[in-house]
Amino acid sequence: MSNAAISVKDVKIRYRMLNKVSFFRALMSPNKFTKTEYFEAVKGVSFEVPKGQILGIVGKNGSGKSTLLRAIAGIFSPDEGEIDLHGNSISLLSIGVGFQNSLTGRENIYLSGMLLGFSREFIEEKLDEIIEFSELGKFIDRPVKSYSSGMYSKLAFSITAILETDIMLIDEVLSVGDAKFKKKSYAKMKELISNEDRTVLIVSHSSETIKNLCDNVLWIHDGEMKMYGTTEEVLPKYDEFMK
Amino acid sequence: MKRFIGDVKKFWNYTVYAIQSDLKAEVAGSFLSWMWWILDPLLYMLVYSFVAVFVFNSREPYFPVFVFIGLNVWQFFSKVVKSGVKLIQGKKSIVTKVYIPKFVFIFDRIGVFGIKMFISFALTAVFMIFYRVPVTWKALWVIPLFLLLFIITYAVTTIITHFGVFVEDLLNVITVVLQLGFYVSGIFYSIESRIMPKSEIIGTILINCNPIALIMTDMRNVLLYNGEPHYIALAVWAVVGIVVSAIGTRIIYKHENSYVKVI
Repeated sequence: MSNAAISVKDVKIRYRMLNKVSFFRALMSPNKFTKTEYFEAVKGVSFEVPKGQILGIVGKNGSGKSTLLRAIAGIFSPDEGEIDLHGNSISLLSIGVGFQNSLTGRENIYLSGMLLGFSREFIEEKLDEIIEFSELGKFIDRPVKSYSSGMYSKLAFSITAILETDIMLIDEVLSVGDAKFKKKSYAKMKELISNEDRTVLIVSHSSETIKNLCDNVLWIHDGEMKMYGTTEEVLPKYDEFMK
Repeated sequence: MKRFIGDVKKFWNYTVYAIQSDLKAEVAGSFLSWMWWILDPLLYMLVYSFVAVFVFNSREPYFPVFVFIGLNVWQFFSKVVKSGVKLIQGKKSIVTKVYIPKFVFIFDRIGVFGIKMFISFALTAVFMIFYRVPVTWKALWVIPLFLLLFIITYAVTTIITHFGVFVEDLLNVITVVLQLGFYVSGIFYSIESRIMPKSEIIGTILINCNPIALIMTDMRNVLLYNGEPHYIALAVWAVVGIVVSAIGTRIIYKHENSYVKVI
């Protein structure tokens, strides 16, 4: 496939069962400190996602979905195999990365945005849009710690939703705030997702969400690929399995 | 190495902004909290000057300035190193959500505590004028001395940060070790005039084997006493500092995958 946005090839991710040790144990038996057991969370998964596609990832708890997503986001690299993003920018949609509670909302937009790898100029450009979307009004110049939890997540959602990337990874669809904002954020999410140039990966336990949003579905079971195909094909079988 | 330089460039803007906002956040807490950046070392200086002069009978020319320089250098070093222990855990919310080279956090700490140190060093200048300390061109040596202090601090902190992730009670150990370091570094006594006459060997070891004591001693030499720094010892420590920094950075790069999984 030449128009692939993400290529994942034979990816294996191991967790080293490295327990924390106390200082004396580390001194007494350095072997225990270095000896490690491995636990393989993702056992050789390969797939390709064409540009513009929306892929849902399903599987039961602990099957390695989130691990895979984090590896694709580059938070850690796979122990074996390759992940190629073909030069696309990527972000894992997550709430409130790197917020400093005693600073104002405005300053936190910069902090969070820069952490996500955007330049200061770009954030400046998008600043008004973020503030407007967040509906925070005057509160944007108050410290974040004075926000209600709803306001907090509204701001966080607005940052990630407005500062968009070519590939977006979503771990459980975010629905935040009151009923009105929930609707608005869901609509915004849908708008982001359905942009034809954007490739999206969604991890979710809700079959409803997957059915509504995704073109294709990847089913992971115990770290292995169980099925990969169109939503109509895979989802009924997954639902059947989960019953 | 290439990766290190690339990452420094890429994350430089974030580092600077993070330092600014960390400082701002501290000031935002209470209106006069920046005053503590100066008051803290100043009050400690009074305490140690009192103890040293009245209890141990220390006598050095310009004694309060002497203590103040030592305290500033030591507090910078020990605070950065101590913060290294819980650095990665403390940034859990960032580390598990985006990729960031972990040494950026150490840069951030060095920046924050470094700026505080420079602010209270400005007070040193005031003291020097007040005591009419004759200043010569040798005072310019403080610039390379500060640079060396940063390198050594970075080097030690990379190692501490790495083990801090895995060793649970490292903070207790580090606290004791730093306490020992505080007393042997000669903050409120002069190794050269108090230890050297009793035992030259111990004095030489204390100065030359402890880079912080060496930096402290030489800062006082060039700022207050128009003396020469220990050129050779400084050069050796500069090389050691750079080598350990490189090793520490490598270790952090190599293991950063497992940090995310352990915390």
